[in-house]
Amino acid sequence: MSGTRASLRLSMAGLRTHKRRFAGTFFAVLLGVAFLGGTLVMGDTLRSSFDAMFGRATGGTDAVVRGDDMITTPGESFGTRRSVPTRLADEIDRMPGVAAAEPRIEGPGQLLDEDGEPVGGGGPPTLAGNWIADKDLNSYQIAEGRAPERSGEAVVNRGAAKAGGLDIGDTTTVRTPDPLKVTIVGISTFGGEDAMGQTTFTALTRADAEKHLTAEPGRATSIQVRAGPGESQEELVKTLTPALPEGIEAVTGQEVTEENQDQIAGQFLSGFTAGLLGFAGVAMLVATFSIYNTFAIVVAQRTRDNALLRAIGATRRQIVGQTLAEALVVAVVASLAGLAGGLGIAAGLQALFPAVGFPFPDGDLVVSGLSLALPFATGVLVCLASALAPAIRAGRTAPLAALRETAVDGSGSSRVRALTGGLLIAAGAGLTVYGAVPGGDSADPSVTLTVAGAVVTLAAFVVLGPVASAYAVRILGAPLRRMNGRLARRNALRSPKRTAATATALMIGVAVVSLFTVFGASLKSTMDQTVSRAFAGDVAVRVPAFGPESGALSPKVAPAVAKLPEVEHALGLGTGVARVDDGGTAHAEGNGGGRALTVTDPERMGDVLDLGAVEGSLTGLGTTGVAVSQSEADDHGWQVGSTARFTFTDGEKQPFTVRAVYDRADLAGDYVLTREAWQPHRMQDSDSLVAVAFRDGVSEADGKAAVEGVAERYGNPEVQTRDEFAESSAAGVDMMLTLVYAMLALAVLIALLGIANTLTLAVHERTRELGLLRAVGQTRAQLRAMVRWESVLVAAFGTVGGLTLGAFLGWAMTRATDSSGDGVFTVPPVQLSIVALVGITAGALAAWRPSRRAARLDVLGAIATE
Amino acid sequence: MTHATGTASVITGAAARVVDAVKVYGSGDTEVRALDGVGVAFPAGRFTAIMGPSGSGKSTLMHCAAGLDTLTSGAAFIGDTELGALGDKRLTMLRRDRIGFVFQAFNLLPTLTVAENITLPMDLAGRRGDPAWTDSLIDVVGLRDRLHHRPAELSGGQQQRVAVARAFAGRPDVVFADEPTGNLDSRSGAEVLGLLADTVRELGRTVVMVTHDPVAAAYADEVVFLADGRLVDRMEAPTADRVLDRMQRFVGEGPRSPRTARSLNDTAERKNPS
Repeated sequence: MSGTRASLRLSMAGLRTHKRRFAGTFFAVLLGVAFLGGTLVMGDTLRSSFDAMFGRATGGTDAVVRGDDMITTPGESFGTRRSVPTRLADEIDRMPGVAAAEPRIEGPGQLLDEDGEPVGGGGPPTLAGNWIADKDLNSYQIAEGRAPERSGEAVVNRGAAKAGGLDIGDTTTVRTPDPLKVTIVGISTFGGEDAMGQTTFTALTRADAEKHLTAEPGRATSIQVRAGPGESQEELVKTLTPALPEGIEAVTGQEVTEENQDQIAGQFLSGFTAGLLGFAGVAMLVATFSIYNTFAIVVAQRTRDNALLRAIGATRRQIVGQTLAEALVVAVVASLAGLAGGLGIAAGLQALFPAVGFPFPDGDLVVSGLSLALPFATGVLVCLASALAPAIRAGRTAPLAALRETAVDGSGSSRVRALTGGLLIAAGAGLTVYGAVPGGDSADPSVTLTVAGAVVTLAAFVVLGPVASAYAVRILGAPLRRMNGRLARRNALRSPKRTAATATALMIGVAVVSLFTVFGASLKSTMDQTVSRAFAGDVAVRVPAFGPESGALSPKVAPAVAKLPEVEHALGLGTGVARVDDGGTAHAEGNGGGRALTVTDPERMGDVLDLGAVEGSLTGLGTTGVAVSQSEADDHGWQVGSTARFTFTDGEKQPFTVRAVYDRADLAGDYVLTREAWQPHRMQDSDSLVAVAFRDGVSEADGKAAVEGVAERYGNPEVQTRDEFAESSAAGVDMMLTLVYAMLALAVLIALLGIANTLTLAVHERTRELGLLRAVGQTRAQLRAMVRWESVLVAAFGTVGGLTLGAFLGWAMTRATDSSGDGVFTVPPVQLSIVALVGITAGALAAWRPSRRAARLDVLGAIATE
Repeated sequence: MTHATGTASVITGAAARVVDAVKVYGSGDTEVRALDGVGVAFPAGRFTAIMGPSGSGKSTLMHCAAGLDTLTSGAAFIGDTELGALGDKRLTMLRRDRIGFVFQAFNLLPTLTVAENITLPMDLAGRRGDPAWTDSLIDVVGLRDRLHHRPAELSGGQQQRVAVARAFAGRPDVVFADEPTGNLDSRSGAEVLGLLADTVRELGRTVVMVTHDPVAAAYADEVVFLADGRLVDRMEAPTADRVLDRMQRFVGEGPRSPRTARSLNDTAERKNPS
């Protein structure tokens, strides 16, 4: 017990004397914990705010009657259900125990602002629907003005009104997707907020909604039901269920609210939070190396002290305990400060989000025990774990070391290490490559294997670091011929382990940055290539949305464009959805499992799209034929003549004969159906793309202008040339990358703190040498340059390692996520050069303080240091 | 500047000197006058030893004369250059180009080889130096077979010989040596001292050495004695016995510290090994 107290006393004394040495560790832990805590608190706060908002908005609905089957296509968050006849609402309204029942009709509805530009969008849905008269059943409430009463009147939510500069009395257009002129008569709120997330919602009269938002009048998305007094939601559902036709279900309002909450929380927020947590993890991993390094150096510098302690009777355990106690104190203090910082970050974001146009629902910060305990525990554990190896090394100090000269630590390039690292890298790289590009024709790449391989490869880089650092510093430092540079090179070579650990922190940051850069660039090239390869037309009319998807377009655009004298071909492509039966019964029960269908005129597709090799014939598909992409055909074992069984959202099951198999699914999609075949199952008539080819001799500019003239009449969708089409398809990638870079800046900052800290410690360690150098004629400027060059060399080593690793893993991820096998791998030289430049410049910056401290050294004092 | 090569030559004038040098550390009660009005010139082409009991100010005198420390009042000169007038950068360049140093220990950079350590000041200046001169120095100090070794692979005596070669490599006006044999056994010490003396006599260089060891001082052409921050005596053509006698008188005049007395006794024992 008293022994523990002695170690504690020693560590407190050590901390007090060497506060500055731990500054780097302190900030590394603080930043990591703050980021982690801020993310968790913000996630909880967002979730609770959204939950509360949905509770308020949909709390008045006791039951919802809707299609019982939802088909979701991969990558889609909102599934599709069959529609419900509106007359059912009247029947339900008359039932006992029902206070009110109203149909809810909802569909795509892009609101345009005064200038004809779309409001909102770019990710969050842009919807239109009917204004539900019953206040409790309507999740929107009138905030200003009144409900729509006559045809052509509309209520828009306040968020959309603000974003579009729209006010009561203004007249504008909603693309439903047919352009519909509306006069705004009211402004609404959703559960007291300006919007549901960033969704825009334009409410029309019921008649307008039935006319414009559905394929045929008399169909509704669902029926909202309010229970009579004393009737519970469950009782209401029990009453309703027997009266419903087949394929229609009744669920409690509570259930729907929870589904909505799950959708926001489960898909949007979880993804968002998981992403942020991932970056927090990277930051923590980087911090690990900085912390390890600090303690390793402090222990090395304290060899004499520890040896003396051992000589006069301190046990190993006490020495280990002393170092760990120091780590614990730093960890606890830094983690507590980090928690405070995390709350600050969350509060700051809550204030910042609305300012940048992301409505953050009102509400206090939600600080759960977990979002405090987890970051705190992580901070403390990371710090202690990083200090463990140095602490054990301190415990092994021989008492005689007090009498020995401290030698230069040349370890780190042992044969065992080189061998272990070599094996690891072979295994890791092998696994990564195997996951990304499996042998054999039928094998699909595996993201799981690739990620596992990536982790092993990263570990190999860490193990090999000290071996590689010696070579790397020699090579990178070779151009440094002047004395300062040469001395810097020697200093960086002194302790390969230390140099490697310092550089590894930066390496990880740079590797993740490069990985995303390469992956993003490849994604963009792939999209670019997709468009330029598959698009055989001259211009495309579309509503660009986030990612490669498109928004809804009026089906009247294509015929109108086709009439233009400049145009040879104009083909509209619409989308549909169906569940595709594999032949088994696997899909009979669950939801989802849908496939997107392309609805068009298959015979004319070849005029504007390049389908590659086509087997069979695209003509005369009629209402029973389907064209399928090669990859889907392979997956299902289909050939021309096979039967594919589809289940549509209306519950209809229909076998289709595969009449053609084509190679390129880039723009055509995996399944192509005629409009006639889709007609009975459609929800709304719309196209997602109109591909246009000009007549010979029509210039791109003239043709585009002509098409734009038509587009203007249909709610002004964008008319894009091939290049613009390609570019806008990839626009989302740049946005994602910007976000990723912002997040990773933290990891790089922590790595820099690590470099600065290591340098400061090294300067302290080399006081006598620096004094000697100054005595024999090194000027202050030369000394600063020497320290700076060392930092730059270490940073360059980390940056080059990170670029290599990142480019390799970027290649692997590109391949692994590319199941179709025709993705492009691109190494963007400009972006990667910028990454390299930033890494190396950062090294120079990290040396700023240590080099100044070194230069301020008093020569005589340094020489006299005993 | 005249450089004598190969043969001994006497250059008139002082390579380094201090005039009315006063150095005060601290203030008030804790004030220590390390130098209290010292004036001394170190003639070019000579080997001068500075002796005195601990705390006599001999190290301070050397530091101030060599531009490593500044005087409180008075003036220090290297040749005709007054050091007090120079800023840090000029002072650094003066040390680099016109002064050589041999310290008691930690003279060498552990990361550089022997050869690199020798040419360090010239490399810092970005000068090639004089390869023939450097080459002859390497022979004089007898380290040709060790040129590519690291300091850690050398014995203490060898390390000091490298330091001597480094100090002379740039043909400085004066070499200051601060207890250069303090950490060496007597045999290695004798080698280093012989080297310093030979370089002065055969190659015409100037050396100023601080020591408390009468045997070491006996290698010098002249010994100046310091006590209580003042110059108290000078001795031409010293021998160990005479120096020891003179030093004993300091002790006789009142031992300043037990350490001085002990170190003098040690010296006496070393002089007469049983």
